[in-house]
Amino acid sequence: MSNLLDTFMNIEVFAFIGLLLWLYFKEFGADDGDSSDP
Amino acid sequence: MFRNPLLLVALIITGAVAVWGIADTAGLAGFASRLVGIQFTSRAWFIMLAVSFMLIVSIWLAFSRHGRIKLGKDDDEPEFSTVSWLTMLFAAGMGVGLLYWGTAEPLTHYLLISNYQDPRKAAGLALFVTNFHWGLHAWAIYALTGLVIAYFSFRLGCPSLVSAPIIKVFGANRLTRSIGWLCDLLAIVAIAIGLGGSVAMGVFQIKEGVEALFGIQGAGMGLTLGIFVVLCVSYILPLTVDLGRGMAILSNTAMAVTGGLMIFILLAGPTHFVMGGIVQALGEYLGGAITHGFRTFTFMDDQVGNWFQSWTLTYMVWWLAWAPFVGVFIARISKGRTIREFICGVILVPTAFSILWFGVFGGVGFYGILRLDVPILDVVRENLSGVTFFVLDHFPLPFLTIGAVVVAAFLFIITSVVSAAFVLGMFSTGGDLNPSTRVKLSWGAILGALGLVMILSNSIDAVKSIIALGALPFVFIVLLLVVCLLKALKAERPQWS
Repeated sequence: MSNLLDTFMNIEVFAFIGLLLWLYFKEFGADDGDSSDP
Repeated sequence: MFRNPLLLVALIITGAVAVWGIADTAGLAGFASRLVGIQFTSRAWFIMLAVSFMLIVSIWLAFSRHGRIKLGKDDDEPEFSTVSWLTMLFAAGMGVGLLYWGTAEPLTHYLLISNYQDPRKAAGLALFVTNFHWGLHAWAIYALTGLVIAYFSFRLGCPSLVSAPIIKVFGANRLTRSIGWLCDLLAIVAIAIGLGGSVAMGVFQIKEGVEALFGIQGAGMGLTLGIFVVLCVSYILPLTVDLGRGMAILSNTAMAVTGGLMIFILLAGPTHFVMGGIVQALGEYLGGAITHGFRTFTFMDDQVGNWFQSWTLTYMVWWLAWAPFVGVFIARISKGRTIREFICGVILVPTAFSILWFGVFGGVGFYGILRLDVPILDVVRENLSGVTFFVLDHFPLPFLTIGAVVVAAFLFIITSVVSAAFVLGMFSTGGDLNPSTRVKLSWGAILGALGLVMILSNSIDAVKSIIALGALPFVFIVLLLVVCLLKALKAERPQWS
């Protein structure tokens, strides 16, 4: 059970690192006008 | 105030933690300890990798072409002199922790390390580990968070909120707004719980100081709660008025007392021994800081593993908990500086002061153990909060030096709570630079209640676990903010290359 939890928690981290890399390389339409009211 | 859902949810969450802690202190501490234990066991590698990454990115940014970019418009000049700027950022970042851990931390590490190493080598290693906890990695976390907030606020005109870079870089839509909202909420919770812990630590230390000053033996919880009440009364007035420059004076006074105390101990104590220790610790730190950042102690026994979790990992998430608060503060005082100046100032100078501080207070502790056979380690085992005063009691003018520590701790807590109530008010009202007195007082009350929870736990380990619990999500948020910064800098490049 603890091994399953450990695996799950680390998969979350791997996915997060993947997400960060994807966000870094993907082009987004940056917001210019609306950011003062988040 | 109740029309603002972020403020309402943040007050409910932090208020619920406070009520739970007051009603069932052991239950909250146990829950925090279990959850943090699971996280630390599974994600230690990620936390160490993340903080090392932050340090490496900071160094790269400082020395890359981005280092020339100003935090503000190109013709903006710094508001504060460099000396004032450095003093203020240091007081905000560490404050009361230095007074608490000055001798206690190196000696606690020494207790463990001397089981594995020759005592003379153990003293050097204990100083090295302490410097690692308070050095480049800690300040890189602050520097990067502050840099993101300063860059997006002053360069790109966004509000000083954790959510602003996310919305600016990834565009304003329902998803980014929701994620930004969640990040603001988690930042508020991390700051509030972190500050509560700091209040508790300060109160523990002031209580020991008052006992040492007036020769009170075993005053117990009554004196602790009395000091806590005086503290709460003292910060109510500053919360209701805009002290502005007055707060800077309080903070600078606390730093001056702290610096004066360090110089006094250095000169009145075994100066050659302490200076020798500082130079050795500096060399060992310069040689090993980066590689130590990647050390996870995976192949060591449980005793070392537990120590690693309850010290190194806890410290790293502790700095992460404080990062949004200190980051906003550092950002506010750094307008007009270049990225290079900002990173070098924020990372190098406080690290150098920390090495000096622990070299002096740790050094006199080790002198007592290794040369004079003073039973300091017994005090470390039984009463961490009293270690600093035990050491000061062996120096000339103990009444004066112990009084100075009590006054400095008191001032540090007042300035921290007032600044934190301001930052929390700002975060929870969409970046309003002048949050209402009612909002600031609400946060003052919540911070006091969280402080009371930690005090009632009467255990510094419980305090550390509860802080770590609040701070853990921030490992993810700071990394997301770093990606926002790197993307924004990449987009700026064509304009100045």
